[in-house]
Amino acid sequence: MKILIVDDDPIIILSCRRILEAEGHELRVANTVDEGESFLVEESFDLMITDIKMPGADGFEMIRRAGKARPEMPVLVMTGYLMQETLDEGASLGVTDYIAKPFTPDELLRAIEGV
Amino acid sequence: MGLPFFKIHSLRFKLIASMISISLFIGFISMLIGVSFLYRSVVNEAGARVGQDLNVARVLYDRQIECVRLALELSASTPSLADALSSGNEAEAAGALNAVALKLNPDILGICDSQGRIIYRHTAEIQGNALNAAPNPLVVKALESQASAAGSLVMDNQELALENPELARFASIRVRENPEDAEAHPHEMTKALMVGAAAPVFSGGRLAGVIYGGFLLNKDTQIVDKIGETVFKNEKYKGRSIGTATIFYQNLRVATSVKDSSGNRAIGTFASEEVNSRVLGKGEKWTDRAKVLDEWYITAYEPLTDIMGRRVGMLYVGVLEAKYNDIRTRAISVFVKIILASAAIAIILGWLITRRIMAPVSHLIQASAEISRGNFTPDIGPISRDDIGQLQRKFLKMTTALKEREESQKAQSEIRLIQSEKQASVGKLAAGVAHEINNPLTAVLTFTHMILRRTDLPGEVRSDLETVASQTERVRRIVKSLLDFSRQSALTPESLDVNSLIQESVKLLENQALIKGVSLSFRGADDLPLFTLDHNQCQSVFINMIINALDATPSGGKISIQTRKASLENAKGVEIKITDTGTGIAPEHMDKLFDPFFTTKEVGKGTGLGLAVSAGIIQRHGGSISVHSKLGEGTVFTIWLPMADNPE
Ligand SMILES: Nc1ncnc2c1ncn2[C@@H]1O[C@H](COP(=O)(O)OP(=O)(O)OP(=O)(O)O)[C@@H](O)[C@H]1O
Ligand SMILES: [Mg+2]
Repeated sequence: MKILIVDDDPIIILSCRRILEAEGHELRVANTVDEGESFLVEESFDLMITDIKMPGADGFEMIRRAGKARPEMPVLVMTGYLMQETLDEGASLGVTDYIAKPFTPDELLRAIEGV
Repeated sequence: MGLPFFKIHSLRFKLIASMISISLFIGFISMLIGVSFLYRSVVNEAGARVGQDLNVARVLYDRQIECVRLALELSASTPSLADALSSGNEAEAAGALNAVALKLNPDILGICDSQGRIIYRHTAEIQGNALNAAPNPLVVKALESQASAAGSLVMDNQELALENPELARFASIRVRENPEDAEAHPHEMTKALMVGAAAPVFSGGRLAGVIYGGFLLNKDTQIVDKIGETVFKNEKYKGRSIGTATIFYQNLRVATSVKDSSGNRAIGTFASEEVNSRVLGKGEKWTDRAKVLDEWYITAYEPLTDIMGRRVGMLYVGVLEAKYNDIRTRAISVFVKIILASAAIAIILGWLITRRIMAPVSHLIQASAEISRGNFTPDIGPISRDDIGQLQRKFLKMTTALKEREESQKAQSEIRLIQSEKQASVGKLAAGVAHEINNPLTAVLTFTHMILRRTDLPGEVRSDLETVASQTERVRRIVKSLLDFSRQSALTPESLDVNSLIQESVKLLENQALIKGVSLSFRGADDLPLFTLDHNQCQSVFINMIINALDATPSGGKISIQTRKASLENAKGVEIKITDTGTGIAPEHMDKLFDPFFTTKEVGKGTGLGLAVSAGIIQRHGGSISVHSKLGEGTVFTIWLPMADNPE
């Protein structure tokens, strides 16, 4: 699978890369929404995993832009705490699934399989 | 302080004043009635007595006449007088008459022959026959009737002068006070009012002559003084005789014991016009109060008639009214004294009684002032045994109730304040920390688990790594709880059946209960309406409550959950009771139950956030949680949730 990961915290990127590459997935990582968008414009992905709380443009903005660039692409949201507001906004943007941080490798893999 | 005291006193003064005014009113009325009644009865009594006194005076007056008649009859019956008269020996006749009649000492005394000619006068010379031919009416009557005659008669000055010139001069009275018809009364009154008698003298069965005699009443003191002496015993009142007697010629005082202002007998003064017309004019007897000179008397008058039956004068007795007025004044003063004394007693009694009544009342008033200042244990003084006592007891009850309410309110609001402050600050901190911790935790979890995937790990390293993994899991749980606790998110309310919501939670925990050997039962009321609740949040509340109960209840214990309709402070709603037979909660822990991080559970077993979160959730639903627990017996948590359509 070709997966795009958007998160401002390098340790999350590092963790995801460690888990997903071990499973043989192909990864692109972006530290900002703009960077993520440029990836999306250039290539297509099987899945995007994005954080919500980011400085500047946040995860919702990322999902919106992704929705324009790659409308069919499933989106997995990583968030520190799943709140109703997040769920509501995510639903309106067509989020596929959610995963709460912190997570174990198994939890992440299960979430990806579900998508 | 000044105000309530003033009020008490004014009330007290009102009570006393009303007591006084009642006693004064009653006293005054009884004085009016009593004094006038007493006075009237005294005056009536006095009037009756004066009437009787007048009768006595009349008897004395008549006796004077009778005396003259008896003396003359006695003289007439002397044979020497009869012989002398029949033989015409005038000198002898005079001697015989004088021997007897002079003992009487009359003012006039004389002898007529059988033809009515006066042949002898004791105190005057006989002056010619012409003048002798005018005998006085007594003689005329005695001659006509050939029997003795006696009574009052009026002589004019000339007639009297014939009888006794000196007496005629003495009899003249100076009129001192002119009544309206001054013309009718000359200044010098020369008529003489007399009493006298005439007795026929018989010689051998034939009328030989008549002897006559009499007393002048003008300026007489004998009769009136005798009346004063006999009737009034010469009683004095303030130096004056109480009783007075008067003989009137017409309406002029000719003999009297009434004294004028200078202390002389009031001879020559007139009776009042009213008396005059009633007694002299109509011939009535008169008994009433009347003014005699300047003084009021209770008086009785009656007419005097002469021997011809003409009203010629009046007889009067009177008693000084001043004496009776004195009785009145004395009675009034006694009454006034009684009234004043009773008013004084009323004041004292009123003071004492009102103090007895008002003391507890004033205590109460002070006490209520104290209460309004926040002192709920005011001194209300000793409890009295009457109605006020009941008031005092009620008041005490009220103050204790007030005190309890105030205290519980204070405690509750304090708890609420602290709790909400705590929750707010802890919540913020927790949320911040949790977010920061989440990312590093992700890395720790990731790499630990990635290492653990390797199959070539030595056993020791694996077990160490597993410890890291499990402890990281624990941190994850704590952080999740913290975030749960700090979550201030809005509710996602939906219409829910409370019973089925609880049923779901019970289902989730049934296995756990079964393993622990605790019976978990739920009985829902079937008349509950739908409630508007956040499904997940409410479920987390129920789950935490049931887990708490399970944790506290040993094997063999019971957990029962019930719902029922219940109102709280007039708001309709549902009450959910979670009852366990567990360990109970130590009283000293009661206060802290809802504090975040308060737990009695082993390290790692409980974060102490369950109830803190639950309280927040229920609060946001507009409901409340209360706890009743008995150490060693069990605990009841009661959740109350309001119905959606409660009027605010
Ligand atoms: N039914 C109960 N019987 C006895 N004690 C109770 C009961 N419910 C709560 N408690 C006491 O209240 C404390 C706080 O409960 P709370 O639910 O807030 O935290 P916890 O259960 O200890 O931890 P957490 O719920 O966060 O896992 C508990 O530790 C326990 O001592
Ligand atoms: Mg708990």
